Amino acid sequence: MEDLEMDDEETLCAETWLKPSSGNSIPQPNQPSFTNFTLPKDQPACEDPSLLDFGVRIGTSFSKYSLAPDHHGQSLQSNNSNRNQGNVNQQINEALQVGKAQDWDPPAMLNNLSFLEQKIHQLQGMVHIIGVRRGQILQQSDEIAMQQQQMITADLTSIIVQLISTAGSLLPLVKHNFAGPTDGATGQHNRQMSEILCNPGLGLNATNTGESHGRGGPNIPNQSNQAGPTGDTAHSHPLDERELKEEDDADEGENLPPGSYEILQLEKEEILAPHTHFCTICGKGFKRDANLRMHMRGHGDEYKTPEALAKPNKGNGSEAMLLKRYSCPFVGCKRNKDHKKFQPLKTILCVKNHYKRTHCDKSYICSRCNTKKFSVIADLKTHEKHCGKDKWLCSCGTTFSRKDKLFGHIALFQGHTPAIPLDESKGAEGLFEQGQATSGEKTKVAQSINFSFHTGSHNGSGVKNIMDVKGSIDDPCSYFSPINMNSFNEFSGAAFDDPDGGFSFFIPDSCNYDQKNDLDVVLQASEQ
Amino acid sequence: MSIVEALTADLLARVYRHLSCETDRKAWRLVCKEFHRVDSVSRPSIRVLRVEFLDSLLRKYTRIESLDLSVCPRIDDGTVSILLSGAADLFTPAVWRVIPPRFDSVKWTGRLRRLVLSHSTGLRHSGLEQLVRACPMLESIDVSYSQGFGDREAAAVSLAVGLRELKMDKCLGLTDVGLAKIAVGCPRLEKLSLKWCLEIGDLGVDLLCKKCFSLKFLDLSYLKVTNDSLRSIAPLISLEVLSILGCSLVDDVGLQFLGDGCPSLRVIDVSRCDAVSSSGIISIIRGHDCLEQLKASFSLVEVTPSLVDSLKDLKALTSFRIDGARASDCSLQSFSKNFKNLSEIGLSKCTGVTDIGIIQLVSGSSNLRLLDLTCCHSITDAAVFSVSNSCRNLTCLKLESCSIITEKGLYYLGSFCLLLEELDLTDCSCINNTGLKYLSRCSKLRSLKLGLCMCISDQGLCHIASNCKNIYELDLYKCCSIGDEGLEALSSSCKRLKILNISYCTRITDKGLEYISKLEELSDLDMRGLVQVTCLGITALAAGCKRLANLDMKHCQSVNDSGFWALAHHSRNLRQVNLSYSNISDLGLCMMMGNLTRLQDAKLLHLSNVTVQGFELALRACCMRIKKVKLVTSLRYRLSREIIETLHSRGCKIRWD
Repeated sequence: MEDLEMDDEETLCAETWLKPSSGNSIPQPNQPSFTNFTLPKDQPACEDPSLLDFGVRIGTSFSKYSLAPDHHGQSLQSNNSNRNQGNVNQQINEALQVGKAQDWDPPAMLNNLSFLEQKIHQLQGMVHIIGVRRGQILQQSDEIAMQQQQMITADLTSIIVQLISTAGSLLPLVKHNFAGPTDGATGQHNRQMSEILCNPGLGLNATNTGESHGRGGPNIPNQSNQAGPTGDTAHSHPLDERELKEEDDADEGENLPPGSYEILQLEKEEILAPHTHFCTICGKGFKRDANLRMHMRGHGDEYKTPEALAKPNKGNGSEAMLLKRYSCPFVGCKRNKDHKKFQPLKTILCVKNHYKRTHCDKSYICSRCNTKKFSVIADLKTHEKHCGKDKWLCSCGTTFSRKDKLFGHIALFQGHTPAIPLDESKGAEGLFEQGQATSGEKTKVAQSINFSFHTGSHNGSGVKNIMDVKGSIDDPCSYFSPINMNSFNEFSGAAFDDPDGGFSFFIPDSCNYDQKNDLDVVLQASEQ
Repeated sequence: MSIVEALTADLLARVYRHLSCETDRKAWRLVCKEFHRVDSVSRPSIRVLRVEFLDSLLRKYTRIESLDLSVCPRIDDGTVSILLSGAADLFTPAVWRVIPPRFDSVKWTGRLRRLVLSHSTGLRHSGLEQLVRACPMLESIDVSYSQGFGDREAAAVSLAVGLRELKMDKCLGLTDVGLAKIAVGCPRLEKLSLKWCLEIGDLGVDLLCKKCFSLKFLDLSYLKVTNDSLRSIAPLISLEVLSILGCSLVDDVGLQFLGDGCPSLRVIDVSRCDAVSSSGIISIIRGHDCLEQLKASFSLVEVTPSLVDSLKDLKALTSFRIDGARASDCSLQSFSKNFKNLSEIGLSKCTGVTDIGIIQLVSGSSNLRLLDLTCCHSITDAAVFSVSNSCRNLTCLKLESCSIITEKGLYYLGSFCLLLEELDLTDCSCINNTGLKYLSRCSKLRSLKLGLCMCISDQGLCHIASNCKNIYELDLYKCCSIGDEGLEALSSSCKRLKILNISYCTRITDKGLEYISKLEELSDLDMRGLVQVTCLGITALAAGCKRLANLDMKHCQSVNDSGFWALAHHSRNLRQVNLSYSNISDLGLCMMMGNLTRLQDAKLLHLSNVTVQGFELALRACCMRIKKVKLVTSLRYRLSREIIETLHSRGCKIRWD
């Protein structure tokens, strides 16, 4: 069973990492790094949400490591960098963490990282263009696809090489793991890429550039496994056995003729059981057979032989065996084998995720927004890393991380409009009030009746004062328009320290302009 | 017992409807009470200068459907809420309170169809929302050039469900989100102008086109939209007018989309689209043989034969502008053969235009109304002759910088083009008084530009004045020989003059300004550099020209404070003033700024007699209503922070020079 989906089983990874210390095939120099890795496990659960967020990006198993408090600086740093490249940067980060005990030069590292970021960004653009083209040209020859793939592969390889050289001095473990395959064949590069680009939603996977890329899912844990006891690299695991997290969508295009595969259907209880692999000796449960095999080594030397550690099915002649596909036990579901348009699920993991997502209660609630619910914890974690950052909000309450997605949504649904965040206008409003306040300070109390137009104009009481003045036209104060009046008085008082002096340069009879005449002037027609 | 009694109110109202000019309507109002009443009940639109009177006016005029608040110094949310609240009584001056209003005053909001709020600085979303909610019949809103108009304000506007027309030019705060609000909220939108809304992008336009199918008019000028937008626009079946002026990211591929879509398109403007070439325009033409107007100014490098070829298909074309392109004689010739209906041709700044080309062009286009030959430097009298001879219906001719045209050309114009209303002869330095004498036969002339024509003098101006009584715009910029006598003739006969430019006509003295002061309708006066004019002239001007709204007296150094006092006292309609390089003092400036209650824009550069304190005082006196002020940069740090902040918070734009 090569089910390598990220999971939330806390002990598993630590165990996997710890066990090798007693193994015979572990390269000894790696030992310190392992201890480093495992140390954070004893730390209390993360307190900083941004850190949690960051951890989720890498995958659960790594989140534990990344929580090490002395990495705050780094993780925040990468948090600030382009989100789209997050996963790769996390990788770099992760690499940095491993080497934390050694001396390193943060500015130089930062330099390198930003260079890498730039390169990745370029690559991203390229992949995006390919994706768009592909969308337009339906019939694309395999040759072109292959060329594109190779182009991307080459670029990625160079990025990886640089990444490794950046991390190299700090990172004996990673260096050790990567040095071999780097100069291998293209296929090996592919593997590397899929190992490094662990986040299924991003990078190559997002564009599905190729089968092996598209399915290069969350396999970092996998690599961790391999980096451990066997001392082997990723070679031993065929890529097509790795699963994409959103398997439901990924196998949408698979059109196997009925009968060309064997249909298996698990029962509900089986699907929802936390573990599927149990140790026959101690009864401990595991989600993955590989982990069980690792575990078994602790029970005696007979489990440490290569045969015992190898995949049970390996070499059994897969051509002889029928492909295995799975059916959902929920009757009426499209994924149920009795459905007319039955679409089989590829792996047990798919069955589990599908069943939980579609037929189970959504029991995981996002702790930040308290609205989004999920039935698969990995979905929750994926959400949490975006939660709060989705600034594109629809009037229906749906949030989007991208503007075009929001606009697509609005175009689709009648009556939905984009929502404008509330705090946006606060700044301007505040300034306005402030302006009024500052001009208000200088006003003398005696003039404050008039001045209330200043302050009141906003809430509407101001105009009343105008009209009061207008009403009592023979009052000397109404010689000028009230606006003019109060602002002027107010200022002359402040500037000259002589409240009366301010008036001295007004022409006396400018006040008694005829109101009716004025009305005529005021009344300007514009016949449209 | 006069004729007035014989006419019923209904007939009077019919007569009233034929009055197109504001002054005529004013005269009508003053005839008698009955006429005044007819004015009150028939008037459909109103433009107010002071919001205090608005409510009483709206009570008086019971048929108002269109309200224009664009020249009100300040409309803000508070004013709006007062206007709309029941406490409208407070607006009524004491005199009117005695007379109970004849009609229900609250109802004006119910009949309002059109609302002009352009250039507003204080109106925010809450005020707009109140207004829009109160006026259920609103069909047209204009919020162009509003400062601080953003997405929230757009959201408020989008509450006007029945909106058909919306103008949002240069609302810099508007983004795709605001546009989306409007697109969703106002599905019946037919006319939309988004000129200069620089934040709008493809996404917004795309959504707009998906939601507002009935769009007929769309202006996307100067937006950073790409071909994607044109792709979105192409499916709009009712779109008739599309303007993508200055959209430099649009190219021929985008025009191809338009060529394949927009079946109702009649008018398209692709001027100043740098990436567009003639092949793009050809693709538009191929798709739309009913095109009436095609504007491609400053987009094309050359009028290619293939373009001219494809133009042949456009039988309905009436207006065609290819300013700035290279237009050879033969291409112009093939024009004339194909377009008998053409009424408007723009060839300004076209290179390669010669007499022969023009002669061939006009020989077939007898219906031409407008011809723009600005900066076609090699045009001579021969071309003018054939233009006047062939196009007898010509109303507008622009010959700026066609400097070899002489009085002969004007002779032909005066002999044949008697319908001419607009003529631009700026910088035609060979024009002399004899020429103007010939020209004066065009008695319908309304706008005449003679700037930089150094040879003309008072005598020529007298000819024009004596015959062209309808002139409302006259430009005499740097006509150095013009003096007071010319202005005397002008003021005695051209009573309709509204816009006058006498900058740098240095012979003009106080006497000249006294003559000008007799022009009651004058609203724009540009009198830069009149060094002989003193406070006496200005006082006369201020006392006489009550409608003066725009005054430029830069470099009028001989005017002292009493002149400015007179302006402050009399010119109460002044909205824009330029006082740069004048001798105004602290007190004069404070008087001007404090007393001119409709002043919205002031340019105050290099005032040597004004202290920092004077500026401070003056700005404080006008900070409630001023919208724009231009000051020297050095003042920026000498003025108190407080006044600058106050101005900013009140929506006033300060330009530091």
